[in-house]
Amino acid sequence: MGILKGPLSGRRYRIVGDLPEGFTDEFIASLNTNQHREPQSPTHKGQSMGWCQVHNLLDVDFSDVNQWLYNHYALFALRVDTKTVPAKLLRAHLEKRQQAWCQANNRPKAPAAVREELREALEQEMLLKTLPRVQTMEVCWNMNDRWLFFTSDGELPNENFQKLFLRTFGLRAIPWSPLDELAATDGLPEALVSAGTTDLRGQGDLRGAGR
Amino acid sequence: MSEGATELLPAHVSADFYLWLWFRSESLGGHFSIEDGSALEVYVDDRLALRDAGEERPTTLLTGDSPGTTPEARAAVLGGKVPKEIRFLMRREDREYHVTLRGERVGIAGAKLPTQVKTGEVAEILYDRMFVYEELHWLVSCLLRQFAAERASESWRATVVPQMRAWLGALDAGASGG
Repeated sequence: MGILKGPLSGRRYRIVGDLPEGFTDEFIASLNTNQHREPQSPTHKGQSMGWCQVHNLLDVDFSDVNQWLYNHYALFALRVDTKTVPAKLLRAHLEKRQQAWCQANNRPKAPAAVREELREALEQEMLLKTLPRVQTMEVCWNMNDRWLFFTSDGELPNENFQKLFLRTFGLRAIPWSPLDELAATDGLPEALVSAGTTDLRGQGDLRGAGR
Repeated sequence: MSEGATELLPAHVSADFYLWLWFRSESLGGHFSIEDGSALEVYVDDRLALRDAGEERPTTLLTGDSPGTTPEARAAVLGGKVPKEIRFLMRREDREYHVTLRGERVGIAGAKLPTQVKTGEVAEILYDRMFVYEELHWLVSCLLRQFAAERASESWRATVVPQMRAWLGALDAGASGG
């Protein structure tokens, strides 16, 4: 599912601000600065986020504009990697380690400091063997008409996208669905508020009642 | 981060829009005339989700052919439920769109676009897809404007609401009568 094939889902934004003169070179540098980077440590836990190309999520170099700029459309993707260890598996292994420690040390229970040490060591071991969960969400930016489409409807991905877009390009992306267009029509929001709500159960319009 | 402009509108607008579009698609036989004078056909496709007023999660989900014509769908509305998402088929000239409109922002989801270019240069595929996506966005915007003009007018309460009640009641009576 995405910009180039399959059903299309996601949110539309309008872009506030002007493109800088000779923006191409500037945007190459900005995209490369904010490209997705693999964490330096293989035991890194949590999220890593940055831009990649739509054609292959391993391609994160934007120097060749032919790979992401098509006339007035910029096409790229937000890549988010998330690495965690399965909590239940960690707990089960930890229990075994604690039992082994108690047996080796002839103690009924491992002290808190030892338990924490065992947990940290185990988590590092498991992170080494764990691959991240990789998500990509595509961005198609019409730079002439100042709108873009982001192929996710999730709140968190959209928040992350807005922040990274602002950091990368210095331009604000504001959610802009057909309903936002409607809301920007002079006088219409007030007219719709004063029109009240509709109740089809037979009571007529109930002014002021919320839905 | 800004949340756009929808916070200026009453929260029920999107649900009213979905209901109006469902009602109009049946009462007009699917035939709309949009603001540039061209014809547009709109039908409820194969999915309809309704929620209780004031709730977020849908509590009634109807799928299959023309779920909008089922007694269950009308009974849910008569019982006070409001549409949360509806999948529509829209046809303009020879282009046919299947799209789910959902949520308070009237989001576009699962849009099947009538593209011409399926393979070849990325640029050609992209221009073709964005052309039809733009048309879909414009069509939804046109329908929303048409709805808003009716919704904010005096004729809403005087004419449209009674028509909607009759539309719901006719089917309800038909269902009761066997």
